[in-house]
Amino acid sequence: TLRLICTTTAVQRKNVGASGPEKYTEAFIKKQIEEFNLGKRHLANMMGEDPETFTQEDIDRAIAYLFPSGLFDKQARPLMKHPTEVFPEQRKIQWGEDGRPFHFLFYTGKQSYYSLMHETYEKLLNVQKHQDQLIAQDLPLQKEKRNLAGSRWLTKIELEEMLLEKVSDDDYSRFIQLLQKLVALPCADIEENYIRKFSKEVPVQLQKVVIEPLQYDERGVAFSTGEGSKRKTASATAVVYDNGTGKITVNGIDILHYFPVLQDREQLLFPFQFLGRTGKHDMVCTVSGGGRSAQAGAIRLASAKALRSFVTEKEVEFMRQAGLLTVDPRVKERKKPGQEGPRRKFTWKKR
Amino acid sequence: PCHDTARALDYSPASLVPCRIMPVRWSRYNPSYLEPEVKKEFDQKPLEALTEEEREQMEMKAVRPIKAAPPTLSSSVFSDPMISKFTNMMMKSGNKVLARSLMSQTLEAIKRKQLEKYHKAPENEKETIECNPYIIFHQALKNCQPIIGISNVTRGGKTYQVPVPLTDNRKRFLAMKWLITECRENKHRRMMMPEKLSQELLLAFNNEGPVIKKKHVLHKMAEANRAYAHFRWW
Repeated sequence: TLRLICTTTAVQRKNVGASGPEKYTEAFIKKQIEEFNLGKRHLANMMGEDPETFTQEDIDRAIAYLFPSGLFDKQARPLMKHPTEVFPEQRKIQWGEDGRPFHFLFYTGKQSYYSLMHETYEKLLNVQKHQDQLIAQDLPLQKEKRNLAGSRWLTKIELEEMLLEKVSDDDYSRFIQLLQKLVALPCADIEENYIRKFSKEVPVQLQKVVIEPLQYDERGVAFSTGEGSKRKTASATAVVYDNGTGKITVNGIDILHYFPVLQDREQLLFPFQFLGRTGKHDMVCTVSGGGRSAQAGAIRLASAKALRSFVTEKEVEFMRQAGLLTVDPRVKERKKPGQEGPRRKFTWKKR
Repeated sequence: PCHDTARALDYSPASLVPCRIMPVRWSRYNPSYLEPEVKKEFDQKPLEALTEEEREQMEMKAVRPIKAAPPTLSSSVFSDPMISKFTNMMMKSGNKVLARSLMSQTLEAIKRKQLEKYHKAPENEKETIECNPYIIFHQALKNCQPIIGISNVTRGGKTYQVPVPLTDNRKRFLAMKWLITECRENKHRRMMMPEKLSQELLLAFNNEGPVIKKKHVLHKMAEANRAYAHFRWW
């Protein structure tokens, strides 16, 4: 089975709206919204702040102050949010007074999904017809390549939220295959608007990173700090100085004495050697926790982060693509009950 | 029972990948993370020289997040992916220090033997003798790789040895595994691993030795069982 340990917030949100028939009436939700707004004003009065400019962050801070909770699970703590976030969108009742359903595909069970598939296929046929017309008139087909790298398709959770009903893995993959088939046709530009509803922009990775400017020492030497870099319980901070001879000190000790193993020293020098600046920088670092290899990895990440300020943006992108700037998420897997270790099971005994 | 406890402890399955593959192992990385590639600025070919696929891959690399480089990967001239793989296979109980020292001693031993031969050889043969241990290692591994493999297929109660094509990774793995098992088992009790390994690598470089023989035996078995090749359905 495909089990992911790492999850993004989009995956963790459960789409309760798609789970069953209507549980909250519209009148109930309206009443909840009124009560929420009234409660917000009371809370603002209690905290001594202006009720008109009381934002959601202020509400969260006030609740955390008035009801301090030591519970581990963040979702179990006292919560005061707008009712549309607490009670997710529900589908209204799908049949009229006489019992006849409104939608013609109601009895399939997945009406929105099948109607979506029908619509998409209709667009596909449209594009094919248009293509045939162009061929019949001997006109050239448009061959503008769509930028695939800058956009991604909707995830399964996002699609479920859009359709307000559960979508299985199989159905989702079939829908994506149909969309890809539609996009692959040369004249798909006609249906750009329709396709845009199901694709999302992915920003270039580099823009998410903020490069800090260089700081200057008392002697006028430029230096930069790489902080908070972790690798498997080891955490390190590195200060990289300019105009140096390539000397590296760890916790006050020279690297030749601190890391007797060649592999660790290779890792420390990796960022410098990659940028071609082996003899130009001095480094002073502090590291604690972890083992021999983990400490080396943590210092490597810290020095790579520090070197970002000395170097052009293109080189930062090259460093990122070499894997120097990513925090390694691999940690020791926990032992599970009923097993001897994280994966090893107890010896099987026939009797 | 372990599945139920897993569900109770919220190891919930979530598929972000629309394809049908169901891998057994999981990874701490999101599936959208790409493998790191150590490529320096001046190594990059100019934009026009790239093919369509390479251009697409470049664009994808600019957008997708990338995994962290493992501790064995380095931009220095001395790091070689094949050598690291071989070192990892030689390693026992996580003792990377010992495995790496054995590997460096092996390469040194190969260089010494080749230099001895070089200095003893007459002038005209001096150019044919290869002294670079890395080239010898790569060539020896290449010579040991089998072309076709054997797989057991059970039909009607009987198990047949069916000839099967092998992927590149599998070939490399088999070559390395044979070399290591050969060196661990068929040697004198007091002979050191680097000595034995260098001996085997030099023999494999010249297409002689027990590992090459094993490869030929496998090929002959595959040729002999050629009649059952149609039992393969994959």
